[in-house]
Amino acid sequence: MNFTRRLLLLLGLCLAALPAAAQTPESIKARGKIVIGVMIDVPPYGILNAKNEPDGYDVELAKILADRLGVKAELVPVTGPNRIPYLLTGKVDMLVAVLGIIPERAKLVAFSNPYAGFAQFLYGKKELKVAGPADLVGLTIGVPRANTTDIALSKVAPKGATILRFDDDSAVRQALLSGQVDLTGMSQNGLADMEKLGGKDKFDRKFDLFVQVQGIAMRKDQTELLAWTNAQIAELLASGKLNEMNRRWVGVDLPELKMPNF
Amino acid sequence: MSYQFDFSPVFDAWESLAMGAWLTIRLAAISMAIGLVVSVLLAFGKLSGIAWLRRAIDAYIELIRNTPLLVQIFFVYFGLPAIGIRLRPDTAAVVALVINAAAYTTEIIRAGIESVHRGQLEAGTALGLTRVQVFRLIVLKPAFRAVYPSITTQFNVLLLSTSIVSAIAANELTHEAEYINSITFRSFEIYIVVAVIYFAMSLGFSAIFAAMQSRLFTWPDAH
Repeated sequence: MNFTRRLLLLLGLCLAALPAAAQTPESIKARGKIVIGVMIDVPPYGILNAKNEPDGYDVELAKILADRLGVKAELVPVTGPNRIPYLLTGKVDMLVAVLGIIPERAKLVAFSNPYAGFAQFLYGKKELKVAGPADLVGLTIGVPRANTTDIALSKVAPKGATILRFDDDSAVRQALLSGQVDLTGMSQNGLADMEKLGGKDKFDRKFDLFVQVQGIAMRKDQTELLAWTNAQIAELLASGKLNEMNRRWVGVDLPELKMPNF
Repeated sequence: MSYQFDFSPVFDAWESLAMGAWLTIRLAAISMAIGLVVSVLLAFGKLSGIAWLRRAIDAYIELIRNTPLLVQIFFVYFGLPAIGIRLRPDTAAVVALVINAAAYTTEIIRAGIESVHRGQLEAGTALGLTRVQVFRLIVLKPAFRAVYPSITTQFNVLLLSTSIVSAIAANELTHEAEYINSITFRSFEIYIVVAVIYFAMSLGFSAIFAAMQSRLFTWPDAH
């Protein structure tokens, strides 16, 4: 089914249910609590901890925002399909819910500046110096056919770089381990697998191909709340707090977070 | 049926399909040529009367005929680097296809050679032909004539088997088709077109084999 059309239909249905007046930081302070939708099944961003409470990178950020408003945080677990409807119908005030900033969603909700993200990067033989696409000449790069890495790499790869397209991730990794390719596309999760396979001494991380960034979502009329949230994110990034959280939860530094242009 | 056929994404990609088909033809032709030479050598090895050689060749044939081609391809491409032999996808594909096809055609050619009556060899020697002449004119030619249809069938199978080497990223026809499919999701249309291309290539090879048969395997002129 058409994703955009389904969301637009949803938007139509939700319009009637919207609260009459736009929410502002002041109105939230006056109410004494902020209701934030979070995920609980997307580690390490949103999980349930040992005490069966929501926890994770996103949840920690949600609590920080509530603290800064000086109100209680009411965390509502949401799921992938229902999170935007929850926001649009006013069941939550904002979503800190591992929401990637993509054009389809940006039509429906207002995204804050990115607060988190993960990089897809090139990974390969340690002895190779690969700082950017220009260094790929003469090298062989294995990717799963037509996935996001393939598409991003195909755009930047110079003539003289050989891209080998395999059926799936496992064939790509096998090709790297057996030395049939010099480099592969890799994400943070894949990296852990490769290190288990003994890749730590042989391979290292090269340059980032692209960064998928996540934003806090609000309704489009919550302009003052959006401005306030962006200010908080800027400050948390500048102070190094978000990077510290990313190191703790995800295990690496935050990649460069840039608001995508659509 | 509610499926809307749309062949335009397939035809837009005709160039990569053509490149893929060309590589398929080259892979098949090279593998056939090398495979044929290897099988003739192995067939003679089997009939040489040297026991260890016969047993070694038998073991190879049994091993290859009782394991899947895909596994053999993975072994050549992913396995051989462990002992320092690193082949490009195209080369690995040819090596695997030759290893595979030779196992089948060796037995076919052995049967052909055995179909030549011993008395003919003796007759040849008695007529003063050299060993090479006996081999070429009295053994090889009649042997091939006897089993030629089986060999061509085997080579058509080989042509179609090349589709499997897409698994090691050799850019042949199936690999290109899968790539176009991953981008456009027009699976049905793509595989219809690819099936037609394979069919045409197969008919083309059959025609070449038929032409070769009428040229190479003539009977001696009755002077």
